[in-house]
Amino acid sequence: MTEDKAPPTIEEFRVRAALTGLPLTAEDIEHLHKGYVGLLKLMERIPSHWAWAAEPPHVFRADE
Amino acid sequence: MSKPAPAELTTLSIAQAGNLLTRGEITSTALTEAFLARIDAVDHKIASYITVTADRARIAAKQADMELSQGLNRGPLHGIPIALKDIYETEGVLTTGHSHLRADYVPAVDAETVRRLKAGGAVILGKLATHEFANGAMTPDQPFPAARNPWNTDYQPGGSSSGSGAAVAAALCMGAMGSDTGGSIRNPAGFCGTAGIKPTYGLVSRCGIFPLSFSFDTAGPLAWTVEDNALMLDVLAGHDPNDQASAEATKVDYGAATQRSIKGMRIALARTWYEGNLTADMAKGMDEAVRVLREQGAVVEEVVFPDIWDYHICGRVVITVEAHAIHRQEVIETPEKFGYTTRRRFQLGAFLTAEQYLSALRFRRKLQVDTRAAMRGYDLVVAPNQWGQPEKFEEPQAIFHFFGKASLSMPFNVTGQPAMTVCCGFGSDGFPLAFQLAGRPFDEASVFAAGAAYERATPWRLRRPTL
Repeated sequence: MTEDKAPPTIEEFRVRAALTGLPLTAEDIEHLHKGYVGLLKLMERIPSHWAWAAEPPHVFRADE
Repeated sequence: MSKPAPAELTTLSIAQAGNLLTRGEITSTALTEAFLARIDAVDHKIASYITVTADRARIAAKQADMELSQGLNRGPLHGIPIALKDIYETEGVLTTGHSHLRADYVPAVDAETVRRLKAGGAVILGKLATHEFANGAMTPDQPFPAARNPWNTDYQPGGSSSGSGAAVAAALCMGAMGSDTGGSIRNPAGFCGTAGIKPTYGLVSRCGIFPLSFSFDTAGPLAWTVEDNALMLDVLAGHDPNDQASAEATKVDYGAATQRSIKGMRIALARTWYEGNLTADMAKGMDEAVRVLREQGAVVEEVVFPDIWDYHICGRVVITVEAHAIHRQEVIETPEKFGYTTRRRFQLGAFLTAEQYLSALRFRRKLQVDTRAAMRGYDLVVAPNQWGQPEKFEEPQAIFHFFGKASLSMPFNVTGQPAMTVCCGFGSDGFPLAFQLAGRPFDEASVFAAGAAYERATPWRLRRPTL
């Protein structure tokens, strides 16, 4: 996702974690924060703006 | 071939065993007993089986023999001993997903693929180890031992169809069912030196198989040879109205396709995906594979595809979100029952937004279109199956596998194309090397033709691990 947004700090991530409904330990949150920030960095490759024609099919077909 | 001695029965190919069964030179009962004896003797070294269904197998073998003696042959798997990754639901037989959460689960109905195998006369030997719920990480905190690599038991067999790869290579079944969401058939097939195919998304029913990611999950076989995979797919392929993604594809004789010439076949080499990043052994194996395909008459040319990292991240986002959606309730109610790594992988999807998920789906469509454009004028894509050797058994697995190297298998999960793993020799460390052949959607026949032509021209199917 090509957005100019800094990744969440661990404190910001903790706040967000509290809203997920998941029972998370402190260790879970540390791992998840690291994973989320890493994923976010890789997601910079995914464009954020799409033409309407890029709408994905509801059921994927390999030969469409 | 001459009638094999009992000890040789377990290293017959499905095609060879089928011929001998049809001619009455061996029985399914003898074949089944040979596999049960070998499982008993050596499986404790590699832990490929979670459950061995010996009594059921003996009854099925007896039935298969009786039918053959009366002239009824159900096809290429009649009387053939097969095993199943333990995410395939089996009527009356424990189906655990290699997880504490399903440690006592006994389904009432067979998965559609299991039904097809049984209807085709296959003898089910048992249920095989997997990474927990096919999530792609081996962790030691699970209710059954993790499978080991039969070429060197200090190493992992790859996964998540870990038991499937290990059992086929170790001659503990003639074929095995696996599943492939991001490479889970091809990864263990490559590291264990078997062949294995991820069919086109939609070709084989997933009904009754524990899901990991609805829009990426595929079910398919692993077997020692390309031809054996084709024979298994002959039985497995077909429309299933109970699987929403199941396609109504034209019936193809895959077994016959393995005998086709590949003279003039055009193959695109995805060199930019791996150039400079393979181990020396794998690089040599790839170069040799290309040389052999050219020798068989194929035209192999370098083609530039989208960046490997684009496929990798697209797949990881979709799988992360869908795996969370599937397991969310249990991740909330009983998180302690998941393995240390699995739990974190299934939790992460809660942090991704709907917009991020949809962008990944849109990106998938773009990659599918761009890949098809790059493949224009080519029948197949050839690429390495793995970067190098498998991971050590005792090494802790990374919690998130999107760090490190990009997945070489993910491109074909993203595009939905069929992709097959073919062994292309052995490294200086003794581990098998492997490459992938990917076809156009629903053109498994060309994949089998090229893979089988390669196998006929090379000696790699003659070497088995010793246990």
